Amino acid sequence: MDIGMCQVYEDEIKSLEEEIKLLAEQYKDIQQESTFYSEEEILMAIKAFQSEFQGESKGHESQSDLKAQLESLEADLCFLMKFTCIQFTSHSKRTIERNGNRTVQKHRVSGKCHSLSFQLEFQLLEIKDKEKVSTVITHLSIIMESGEDLNVSKFVSRIEEHGDLLTFFRSLSSYAEWCEHRRSTFQHFKVVSIKLLSI
Amino acid sequence: GVFTHLEKLEAQAHEAGRRQEERQQQEEKLASLKERVEELRMQRDELRAKVDLQHKKQSGKEGIVSDAAEPSAGAVLEWKIRSIKGMLQIFYLTGISGKLTKRGVCFSISTAYEGTYLGSYYLDLLTKPAVRIHRHSLPIFIPLEQISRRYLQTDIRRFLSVLSDHLNAYAGRKYQADQLQEHFSDQLEGSLQRNSLCNLLVFNYKMPSEGKTFPFSARLIYRDLCCSLPTEVIVSCTVKAPESLEETAAAHSELFRHTALHKAFCTFSSAEKKVD
Repeated sequence: MDIGMCQVYEDEIKSLEEEIKLLAEQYKDIQQESTFYSEEEILMAIKAFQSEFQGESKGHESQSDLKAQLESLEADLCFLMKFTCIQFTSHSKRTIERNGNRTVQKHRVSGKCHSLSFQLEFQLLEIKDKEKVSTVITHLSIIMESGEDLNVSKFVSRIEEHGDLLTFFRSLSSYAEWCEHRRSTFQHFKVVSIKLLSI
Repeated sequence: GVFTHLEKLEAQAHEAGRRQEERQQQEEKLASLKERVEELRMQRDELRAKVDLQHKKQSGKEGIVSDAAEPSAGAVLEWKIRSIKGMLQIFYLTGISGKLTKRGVCFSISTAYEGTYLGSYYLDLLTKPAVRIHRHSLPIFIPLEQISRRYLQTDIRRFLSVLSDHLNAYAGRKYQADQLQEHFSDQLEGSLQRNSLCNLLVFNYKMPSEGKTFPFSARLIYRDLCCSLPTEVIVSCTVKAPESLEETAAAHSELFRHTALHKAFCTFSSAEKKVD
């Protein structure tokens, strides 16, 4: 009977440890998602950091690492936005499901590609299977600035139906670039024709 | 006589002592396990209460949370770091992402088929004195040399875009073949043959509820490496076929030209269900 009790306790310990792990992750997620600091607050924090640990030697390496990490990530993001011409103006996410190896997050993103604005909402499902993580987009919803254009709305419907976020961005990039090229060409001819008219 | 009797008593006492020790150990183990369980239960209940409080705050006030305690500078920075990482994850989903390196940029090209992401490839570029490829993880059957000769020096964005086309088409073709093998193996005879570029597929198959004969043989060629649909499809009958089967083969040929392979096989199953 004693051995039976041991097993019961051991099983409960295992399940409690898993539950605690899940709850801790949930807590961290919600903490992240429900907090917001303005750019000012962040600059203040960086200053506070620097003054706090100025002149201190080892032991606080992790703190200066934080500042370096932040700067490096910001540089990466800035570069990508400039390079791809995709500017994200806002991004919010909320974890709506987390159990075992399955996580579902609801994302809301808005931004523009060259001068074309878009707003997206989608759910991101991640399944951890041994070492592989599979990522699937569902419930994709897209709002485009030029949404009244029939071709654009047909394109958007097809993308939404298949959750094809990748194709959306790749096509958006080429389309936006084409629009930009057309606009600047038109602008160029406008300037040229105005000059001609004023002769 | 007496001596053996004494021996027996000694052995019995020894045994009793051993058993008592065992029992004590068991009781101690049980007690410590019970203590651990209670410890964890408390921890779990504390966390649950914290999470519940968060949920209440969330449904009450959206966005800004005013905590009683002033967050530390470190916590603010950590928040910002996680926030930026979140945005970089969105870039991953767009297909082109990257990281600045000491001597250039390391780009990451992600692939997906409809909503399912299929893995990414990296390209480590050096930028001085001229742009060149330092390292990469592209498979050898992607014509990297050809594409970089054409675009790398003049238009890096175009270069990456063309690579992305090739990689996504390859990933799409591979995905279709994998899905076919995974979900429709009972309709395939033998193995599905494919080359590493997945632009040549050969397989024998039958319609769902048919007996043991696999009357169809399919050969799909994808000449456009930036496309995940075949340019040529040959479906023939493996057995001496009645006209109806020949017609079906022709219909399938058309189907495979315009529909993703695994989706085409899906329509076979649903058509069969309708007949039943």
